[in-house]
Amino acid sequence: MKRRTFLAGLVAVPVAGCGLSGTSGGGSTTGGQVTGEITFQTWSLKPKYTDYVNGVVDAFQKQHQGTAVKWVDQPADGYLAKVMADASAGSLPDVVNVPPDLSFPLAKAGQLVNLDESAADAKADYLANAWQAFEIPGKGGCYGFPWYLNTGPIFYNKALFSQAGLDPNKPPTNFRELEEQALKLAEKKIAILGQTPSIADFGLYGVKLFENDEFTFNEPKGVELVESYKRMYDAGALIPEALTQNYTGAGAKFMAQQTALNPGSAYDLGKFKTDAPSLYANIGISTPITNTGSANMFLHGVSVPKSSKNQATALAFGRFLTNAENQVEFAKLASIFPSTSKGGDDPYFTTEDGTDEARVRVAAAKQLKTAVNYTPVQFSDQMREALLQQLADAMLGKKSPKQALDDAVAECNRLLK
Amino acid sequence: MTHRPYTPWLFLLPGLGVCLMFTIFPFLNMIVLAFTDASALGGGRFTGVDNFVRMAQDPKFWLAARNSLLYMAGVVPPLVLLPLLIAMLAQKVVPGIGIFRTAFFTPVIASAVVVGLIWTWLLDSRGLVNNVVEALGGTRIGFLTDSTLLLVSSMVVTVWRGLGYYMVIYLAALANVPKDLHEAAMVDGAGPVRRFWSVTVPALRPTMVLIAALSAVNGFRVFSEIYLLSGGTGGPGGASTTMVMLIQSVGRGLTGEVGYASALSFVLFVILLGLLLVTLKLNRREDQL
Repeated sequence: MKRRTFLAGLVAVPVAGCGLSGTSGGGSTTGGQVTGEITFQTWSLKPKYTDYVNGVVDAFQKQHQGTAVKWVDQPADGYLAKVMADASAGSLPDVVNVPPDLSFPLAKAGQLVNLDESAADAKADYLANAWQAFEIPGKGGCYGFPWYLNTGPIFYNKALFSQAGLDPNKPPTNFRELEEQALKLAEKKIAILGQTPSIADFGLYGVKLFENDEFTFNEPKGVELVESYKRMYDAGALIPEALTQNYTGAGAKFMAQQTALNPGSAYDLGKFKTDAPSLYANIGISTPITNTGSANMFLHGVSVPKSSKNQATALAFGRFLTNAENQVEFAKLASIFPSTSKGGDDPYFTTEDGTDEARVRVAAAKQLKTAVNYTPVQFSDQMREALLQQLADAMLGKKSPKQALDDAVAECNRLLK
Repeated sequence: MTHRPYTPWLFLLPGLGVCLMFTIFPFLNMIVLAFTDASALGGGRFTGVDNFVRMAQDPKFWLAARNSLLYMAGVVPPLVLLPLLIAMLAQKVVPGIGIFRTAFFTPVIASAVVVGLIWTWLLDSRGLVNNVVEALGGTRIGFLTDSTLLLVSSMVVTVWRGLGYYMVIYLAALANVPKDLHEAAMVDGAGPVRRFWSVTVPALRPTMVLIAALSAVNGFRVFSEIYLLSGGTGGPGGASTTMVMLIQSVGRGLTGEVGYASALSFVLFVILLGLLLVTLKLNRREDQL
C-alpha cells in the first residue's frame, strides 16, 4: 500500500541532525485553557526521529507553561489495530497521528473534533489540497491538521528502455504514451509495470472516482483505463505477479530490474543508491504519469478525538506540531514535504544544488502545489482488495473490464453503507 | 496435614483467569457478535440470522470453504504418512542422525513469515525454481500467480513445515511399539515391508488418527502460508482465499464488518468441532476393536 511505503520511507531515512527550535505560536483554539497533560501518539517515528519529536514537545511545553505532553510512538505493524482498539474503547490519545483514510471512519463515527469549528482560523495556514484531504466530502468539516506529505516522480530504467529501442530520455508522461511504450518494451520481453492500476491511478487517468455519495469509477473512462491495462497485460508488459502485487512488491521488482518503470518518492532514490547500485547507474527520473496535469499526493495528519479531556491543549499542540517552522525542520530530516502554505517556500525546496536528490526534491515540491490526494478518504482496505481482485479477473479474461469495474464499484458501494 | 478443598483451585486460578479472559470471553463475544451488524467502531444491532443468510448467498464464503476443504484433503495424507517414514529413518541410531533430526525439525521452529518469504523467493516467476526450470528448457511456471498452483504451493509449504513436528510425535509412539512383536514377526519370516504394515501401522493407528485430526484442523484453518505466498491477496482475483483469510479480510481495520466476520468464525468453529467429533468417534471405535 502506498501509505505504508511512504511511512517506511520516512522511518528508514537517517536523522541528519537533531534538536528543534520551534518557537512559533500554537495558534488560537476555541474552548478552554491550554494547560494540563495530553498524550500524543505517532506512527513509527522512534528511534530515527526521537530527538526531533522531543524537541517539538519541549518547545511546546516551554511556550505553554503548565502543559505536559506525553509522547507515545507505536510501531507501524499493528498501528491500525492499536487505533481500532483505542477507538472502540473510547480511549484514543489526545493527539493521534492518522492519514486521511484512517481519520474518515473515526470522523464518520463521530469520534473526532471538527477543526472547522474548533480551530477555525487554522485552515489558512495549510495548503488547500492538504486541508481538503481531511474533510468529509459532501458533509463538510475537517478532522485533522495536515502534517507531512509526499509526492514523487516516476523512476524508469534507462538501460531497459534503450534495449527496446526507446529513447531513454523520453519516458511516458501520460497513459497513452505509457501503453505505447509498454507494448514496445513487451516486444523485447521487458515488462514495464509491476502492478495493476490503483484507485489513485484511476484518478490520475481522469476518471470520476466518487460522486453523490457513491463510487463511480466504472464510468467509461475507467473502463478505458482497464482495457488499456488488459492490452498491456496480454502483451506481457505487466509481470505475472502484478495481479496480486501491492506497491511495496512492485517496488522490489523494479529494484530487481524486472520492471522498467515505477512511481516513487525522493526517499527511493537513496534506496536505489545503496541497495541497487546497478539500477542507480541507469536510473531515469521523470514527472508522474497523469492525464490531469496533477500529481498524486500522500499525506499524514494529526487528529484530536472528542474523548480528549484536554481538547484545548490537544488542539494547540496539534497545530504547533504542524506549523510551518516545525514541518520544514522535519522535512529536512526525512524525505518528506511540509503541508503548510508557507513551508514550501523555504529555499531547501526551491533551490537545486546539482545533485539528483535536490532535483527530485525541488521537482516534487513544485508538483505538490497542484497535487491531489486522489485516493478518496472513503476508500477502505476492503475496497482496495475488491478492486485488486476484480482487476485480476479482468486481466485474466474471466470478466470484461466493464463487468469487473461494475462489480468492484458495487462492492465498494456496499461496503460504504 | 490439613487438606483445604480450595487449595487446588488456587493453583489453577492464574491459568483459568488467563483462559477465561483471552479464550472463553472472546469466544462468547464472537458468538454474540455473529448475530449483530457490529463494526469495528460500534457494537451494532441485533440482526438475527441475517449474517448466516448472507453467508449462504456469498460466493466468497463458498469459495473459501471449498479451498479450505481442498487444502485439508491435500495436506492430511502426506502429513500422516511422510512424518512416519521420516520418523522410522530418524529412529535408527547411526552417526550423524542428530543432524538429520534437527534438519527436519528446523522448519517447525522457524518463523512463519521467514518461511513464507523464503518460499516466495523460491517460487516467484523469476525465482530459483523457475530459473532452474528455464535452464532445463522448460517454461516458467506460475506457482504464485495461478490460483490452483498457489494452493498447491501453499500445501507443499504446510507439509514441509509440519514434517518435523509430526515426526517427533511418531518418534515417541514408535518407541512404544513392543519389540517382541517385531521379533515374533521376523521369526515367522516377515520382511521389513510386511512388518511395517502388519506390526508398525496397527500399533501406531491411534497416533495416526490423532495426527490426521490435528493436521486436518490445521489444514482447514490455514492462514499464514497462503497469506504470505499470495502477498496477502488470496491469489489472483482472491481465488485462493481460505476460510481464515476470508475472516481476516472481512473483519480487519476500522472499516471491518465485525459481525459478519464473527458469523464466519462461528461457522468455522462448528466445522472444526464436527471434524474433531468424527475423530473422537473413530478413536473410540479403534479402542473397541
